Amino acid sequence: MSCEDVVRQLSDYIDGALPPADRAELEHHLATCHDCHVVLDTTQCTILLYRAARSRALEGERRRLLLEKLQRACRGCGGAQPNPPRRDAG
Amino acid sequence: MSGEANAAVAQRDELACLEAMRRGEPDCLGELFEVWADRLYGLALRLLGDPAAAEDVVQEAFLKLMAGASRIEGRSRLATWLYRVVYNAAMDRLRESRREVPVPEENEEAALPAPAVLIDFRLTPEEMVHDAELREALERAIAALPTTLRASFLLRDVEGLSTAEAAEAVGVTEANLKVRLHRARLLLRERLAAFVAARGDGGRTP
Repeated sequence: MSCEDVVRQLSDYIDGALPPADRAELEHHLATCHDCHVVLDTTQCTILLYRAARSRALEGERRRLLLEKLQRACRGCGGAQPNPPRRDAG
Repeated sequence: MSGEANAAVAQRDELACLEAMRRGEPDCLGELFEVWADRLYGLALRLLGDPAAAEDVVQEAFLKLMAGASRIEGRSRLATWLYRVVYNAAMDRLRESRREVPVPEENEEAALPAPAVLIDFRLTPEEMVHDAELREALERAIAALPTTLRASFLLRDVEGLSTAEAAEAVGVTEANLKVRLHRARLLLRERLAAFVAARGDGGRTP
């Protein structure tokens, strides 16, 4: 197995989607190829960092206004018979 | 409780919520909004790069959810349905603004970007919290990806959809999704490695 083969199969390996024989062959290559090992480790590191990187959330006031707008739109939503509007608590 | 059991409970609650919305009860909307608004906004923001447009897309997704709540059940998970609506709405906006450059058709035969920067960086999510420069580098790297690759990576690796769900959300085959995901991962790895190499700290905090 060449380094190019390893790179091509890297995502399947990370996702546990390689057949056992291919997996064994790839791991055999990894055991002796420093560069491929680095590529594997740093790819997994990259995925973990993005998974942990919180993207910005909707901020307080805009979030509240959007929810209110949607709640007004929801009275009678879903195409059901329009129900009498429920009283909001408070 | 296992993650699977949690997911099962969450899904049952979501179905109960959809049922309530069908009856025209807005209370449940608040619960769905709590669960989904930030996730959908985060995806839309990283696809569009514009907070106001991202908010519009989230609003559109919830309005569609209310209008089409009765059609979701049994067709796909709510998650897949919502992400698909957000993805399509974001792509429509990008096409309208002509910012989206068509990418060549991905296929298994096309040459993959060969890893070039082989620095062995080991950054942890904990370090990232105190490293604004790294967080900016991550955002720059993902913003530079073609939108189709970016969406595949975000849905699969960040939002945690399965390959099948992510493929359904962006409207491609699973094979195609996997090609996009693989390219995205390699490109992001390369850019992060280049950032670490340029900074010269080997990725380790001094």
